[in-house]
Amino acid sequence: MFSLSYAWNELRRRIGRTLVTAIGLAAGVGLVMGIIGVSEGLSVAQTKALSPLGAVGTAIIVTRTVAPTLSTVTTTTTTPTGGFGGGGGGAGGFFSGRGASSLNSSDAAALAAANSSVITDLAKLGPAGTKFTHDFFVPGTLITFPSNAVGDVSKIKGVTSAVGALSLDALHETGTVPKITATVKTGGETITATVKPPVLTAAQEAAERSCIEKAITKEFGSGAGTTGTTPTGGSGGGARPAGGFGGIASNPAINKCLTPAQKAYRQDVLVPEQTINEVLNPPTTNTQTSTYTVASVDPSNTTSGLVTKTQLVKGTWISKNPATAKTQILVTTAYASQKGLKVDQTLTINSVKYKIVGLVNPTLTGDVSDIYFSLSNLQSLSSNANRVNEVLVSVANAKDVSTAAKAIKKELPGATVLTSASLADQVTGSLSNARKLADDLGGALAVVVLLAAFLIAGLLTLSSVSKRVREIGSLRAIGWSRGRVVRQIMAETLGIGVIGGVVGIGIGAIICLIIGAIGPGLSVTSTGLAVGASSASSLLHQATTASVVTTVRLTAPIRFVTVVIAFLGALMGGLIAGAIGGWRAARLSPASALRDLG
Amino acid sequence: MTDVSTSSETTPTSAAPLYELRGVTRDFTKGGVTVNALRGIDLAIEKGETVALEGPSGSGKTTLLQLLGALDTPSSGHIEFSGRSLENESDKVLTDIRSEEVGFIFQQFNLIPTLTAEENVAIAMVPRESSHEKRIARAQELLTQVGLGHRLGHLPSRLSGGEQQRVAIARALANSPAVIIADEPTGNLDSANAQEFMALLHDLHKSSGVTLIIATHDEDVASSTLRRIRLRDGAIISDSKRP
Repeated sequence: MFSLSYAWNELRRRIGRTLVTAIGLAAGVGLVMGIIGVSEGLSVAQTKALSPLGAVGTAIIVTRTVAPTLSTVTTTTTTPTGGFGGGGGGAGGFFSGRGASSLNSSDAAALAAANSSVITDLAKLGPAGTKFTHDFFVPGTLITFPSNAVGDVSKIKGVTSAVGALSLDALHETGTVPKITATVKTGGETITATVKPPVLTAAQEAAERSCIEKAITKEFGSGAGTTGTTPTGGSGGGARPAGGFGGIASNPAINKCLTPAQKAYRQDVLVPEQTINEVLNPPTTNTQTSTYTVASVDPSNTTSGLVTKTQLVKGTWISKNPATAKTQILVTTAYASQKGLKVDQTLTINSVKYKIVGLVNPTLTGDVSDIYFSLSNLQSLSSNANRVNEVLVSVANAKDVSTAAKAIKKELPGATVLTSASLADQVTGSLSNARKLADDLGGALAVVVLLAAFLIAGLLTLSSVSKRVREIGSLRAIGWSRGRVVRQIMAETLGIGVIGGVVGIGIGAIICLIIGAIGPGLSVTSTGLAVGASSASSLLHQATTASVVTTVRLTAPIRFVTVVIAFLGALMGGLIAGAIGGWRAARLSPASALRDLG
Repeated sequence: MTDVSTSSETTPTSAAPLYELRGVTRDFTKGGVTVNALRGIDLAIEKGETVALEGPSGSGKTTLLQLLGALDTPSSGHIEFSGRSLENESDKVLTDIRSEEVGFIFQQFNLIPTLTAEENVAIAMVPRESSHEKRIARAQELLTQVGLGHRLGHLPSRLSGGEQQRVAIARALANSPAVIIADEPTGNLDSANAQEFMALLHDLHKSSGVTLIIATHDEDVASSTLRRIRLRDGAIISDSKRP
């Protein structure tokens, strides 16, 4: 093939040329490694920031939002129950009505009712003037649905686990129960009804007649004709003129003659007088409202949920014991630092003291909530017994995501099914710009840099071969074939490639480490994630941030694959240089060893 | 010689000459100008001869040596080496002939500057001997033979001109060739080294019977051979043998 010792000696004893060529390759390879590293870093940052689903062990999120289009009326829609935080009865059968498709106007109305019911009557918090602090929990745009949907989803093929969760907006209101702003008096009217009197028996009629005749005789004298005043009809039926009956009946003497049934029908209905105090415009009081978000975790499932145990940065997870969990909460680091909260501190929510057992740092998503309760706790706190508004689905295999998502859509008509892929599209900011840039230019840049490095190595080899004309001619003269000479040169440049690869990996590692050390910040803006509960603010006319902005530090991770690619790139550069040099050498005639030389 | 041709043209016998050239020409075209380096050479060289090629610069000595050394092929005419025609042979066959049958010695020594004396000798055996150890062993043997046993690991730059040319002799002998072709071998040597070199070459000739073909300007070198061929303008003007 070739002489290894010759190649080794060539590299060793022409160390200057070897190093110059190798460093040319190494610079190219190092730069390419840096480019790949940055590109990887952007991917990592994106995964970290933009793929909350994957990061929380979830591949698919199932929610139910207000559908923009109206469709056929759903089969079962109950009236909202109202009350505090009462999204509970909101819309009973979102998922139970299998035939029904997307959310219709009545669903939307139910949702609006659920979100607004909390502020209908602050007077319910106590007499006017009472100071109050109350937290209201509203489902936002994410309509709750019976948690049996979770079971339905978990039965779908490819789904390994489905966890139900609640993600709610919380309104923290403090103030004074307002004075009544409007008093409406009702009642006091007398209502007279026109009714058909009971039919008298012949005996009753005879008795009544004689009684009346006696009364008339007593009142008006016997001269009066009896027939003239006798009520007509009698047993023959037919409605008596009310006026006539009333006229007679209004006389107390005659009244006595009436049967008890007739007396009862004669009674007037008196509506009792009452006063209704109605709060017409509650927010105009001194009530102060702040908003935060709450969500649930399943204490028994630490690997799948809106936050997972891996995101716990301090403290412990919510207890598996429901009794203990009842007074435990997790708080995000961001909310904790904003409010100056620490682990083991207590937070009072609706007169219940909750102990902060841990701080979590969830991934950037529209679903970052400030406080996490256990699911059952939050369900009772928000009157959402056995209801959830998100199902977090894990699948066995990444490639099952799209098929499982389709199956879920089929199983739960009208559900909004989000996958990581669909989430990533909803993100903007310098990270996604950089990512886009890296996608668009990174590959091309890497290719250009590599080609430049190959070209440099090739030219250096070419010049080196040209200087070795006599040497190569001598080799040909002493019986080396053209192929052997070319192989020998390629062995040498391959050796240079190996050196260039090793040095280049070193350069690339240094570039990556420097980038990691500087760690330029990239902003991530995640907008309009349907998963978030923040959209409730638009219903309530509250000002909350609709998008989440996060800064992610760029790193340039060095992966084994990158190192391999860099090394192979350097080897390829060596081979290309060798091919160029070899082509030059092969063109030399052996006679050149003798000719053209002094 | 493994080639036993049955063609009428080549009928190798034990008495066949090592070289047989008939009407050999070689033209070079450079920048539209054609130079007739050789114009019809007829020549036969027997095995074991010692031949000096003489003539002024540009007389065609080097061109003739290239043809004899299978480094080049003629523009026209016929050239036979050990009964094998060389003029239409492939590069591969010519390479094999150079490797197996011919040893070269150049005026500039043409040693590989990055290789030691023994490695320079060993490199010539690479096409025929795959074992590095065997190559080095043979190289050391040959270098000892030419009196450089104490210089085995030296790079050419650390050797004198005379020593470098002796390394070149050892390299030329590496594959036990039938012929040694030397182009102005003493051109870069002082007279003492030149004499030493020629003495060594003649010793080798005597011990192995190798054919020597030496192009030279040096009267001392030329007079040490038994046959002197004089060239001028690409043609042989005299060819004399001494008994």
